Amino acid sequence: MMRRNSVSRRLIRGLGQVGLVGTLLLFAAVIFFYRLTFSHLDAGAALRRAILESLEHVALPVIVLMVPVTVLGLRVIRQAFVPLEEAAIRIEAVKGHERGFRIDTSQMPEEALLFTGAVNDLLERLDEAARRQEAFAADVAHELRTPLALLSLELDRLDQVDAPRLKGDVAAMRRLIDQLMLLAQIDAAASAQIAPEQVRLVEIAREVVSLLAPAILSAGKMIALDIEDETVIVRGRKEAIATALRNLIENAVRVTPAGGMIQVFVGPGATTGVRDEGPGLDQERLRDLVRRHRRADHASKDGAGLGLAIVDQIMAAHDGLLVSDPDRRELMLRFPDV
Amino acid sequence: MRILVIEDNERLARLVVDGLQRRGFSCDTALSLSGADDAMTSATYDAIILDLGLPDGDGIDWLMAARRYREIPPAIVQTARGALEDRVQGLDAGADDYVVKPVDVEELAARLRALLRRPGIRAQTIVQVGTLRFDAARRIAHVGDHEMELSRREADLLELLMRRAGTVVRREVIENALYNFNEPVTPNAVEAAISRLRRKLEDAQVRGALQTIRGVGYILKDLTA
Repeated sequence: MMRRNSVSRRLIRGLGQVGLVGTLLLFAAVIFFYRLTFSHLDAGAALRRAILESLEHVALPVIVLMVPVTVLGLRVIRQAFVPLEEAAIRIEAVKGHERGFRIDTSQMPEEALLFTGAVNDLLERLDEAARRQEAFAADVAHELRTPLALLSLELDRLDQVDAPRLKGDVAAMRRLIDQLMLLAQIDAAASAQIAPEQVRLVEIAREVVSLLAPAILSAGKMIALDIEDETVIVRGRKEAIATALRNLIENAVRVTPAGGMIQVFVGPGATTGVRDEGPGLDQERLRDLVRRHRRADHASKDGAGLGLAIVDQIMAAHDGLLVSDPDRRELMLRFPDV
Repeated sequence: MRILVIEDNERLARLVVDGLQRRGFSCDTALSLSGADDAMTSATYDAIILDLGLPDGDGIDWLMAARRYREIPPAIVQTARGALEDRVQGLDAGADDYVVKPVDVEELAARLRALLRRPGIRAQTIVQVGTLRFDAARRIAHVGDHEMELSRREADLLELLMRRAGTVVRREVIENALYNFNEPVTPNAVEAAISRLRRKLEDAQVRGALQTIRGVGYILKDLTA
């Protein structure tokens, strides 16, 4: 393996060479000025004098100069790199919130500015590319809505047995598009650093359950809300959290048989989630599902696999987690404590 | 019931009107705000459905301005999902309800029925949900021809649930509507009233209509739909 270049090692090597050359030159000067010849060296006194002269005029100056120069040089180098190390730590720390991040150049030495400036320009260009991509996706989603609305209205006029099924498909598509647009908005809000509001989880849960209950009852299933803690407050965007919880409930509705009960819960702690009568989803399968946006076997055909992936993204934007407990048949949103 | 649909996309307007007409509403269309002004001077509507982005102005501004100097029927505003909470809060100022675009006629019809049951500018004295009929002036409820015997509080409760049939009525809403400030509400007073009402509904052959959503409230199924 090639040994990596190191500024400190190069400095030591350079100083070593300077020391060596200096020593030789000083030696030559001492020999010249004190007319030391090898003939004198037989005599013990002459040898002692020669050694003394060498120590005084060669070793002493070299040591007196080289040692502080080396120490100072190494210190300067180490200090020069401290801002870069700190920048590296900060870069590591923003994992998951890369959007809009720039290296702080106020403490950077002039010599590093060219590099950090170039990196910041690169980050800018990456952000811009991501923004364009998202804007494009949002535009596509937006443009799709009118034709989809027309389609579902046209389907409404059809007096055919297939019409309700087709309408259901179109409705699922519309919801998906809404969610994609919501995600784009969350990302945009995150990169614009809009401060999150404080929201009461119980309020959100009541609203979402109220909204979904009529359809769930019509499908012959039941829904209830269990409140462990009325007071839980989390920081985030109300509509985003509501969407996440709604996706969990809709997922639960899909896997719960007719006559079954979907239990939504709030607390203990900064959590909310759903307990259903489905087969449960182990953590690994959940990760897989979320990562590949794929539909698990337990979800029936009308389920959009993207739903849980969207929940996961919403939770990531809130520094929270989507957690599964297959034994309790729970899917849970866990928020950081305020 | 006469509805004014204010929507600038002609095809969309036609399809919405078509869908609503098939569900028993009679509808007129206005393609702009000035068209809506014209329509409202020549006819009286029970409700309006309002799109926000119209060629001659913003729907919500128009609604708020119009409300200031004349009586405007209850309005359902169509809003784009793109507009987030702030928009929705803005809507609270003028709209009676809102639906997210693109609209689903089924949902729009349900919202219209719910809106028209609410005590509003042209308060309906007879509220009907399926076979259940409530006379708000005389405080009497009928199932078909059979008259139900209700206490004052049960009648209030039934009216509240009927006016919001098909939606969940929160427990605290019921508490606030049924009991005065200074009247102590025992923890299970609402439950007791609900179960008495449910028993009377079952006795009158209206089965499974009144459901409890534990932790949230109660719902009277919209038997019309």
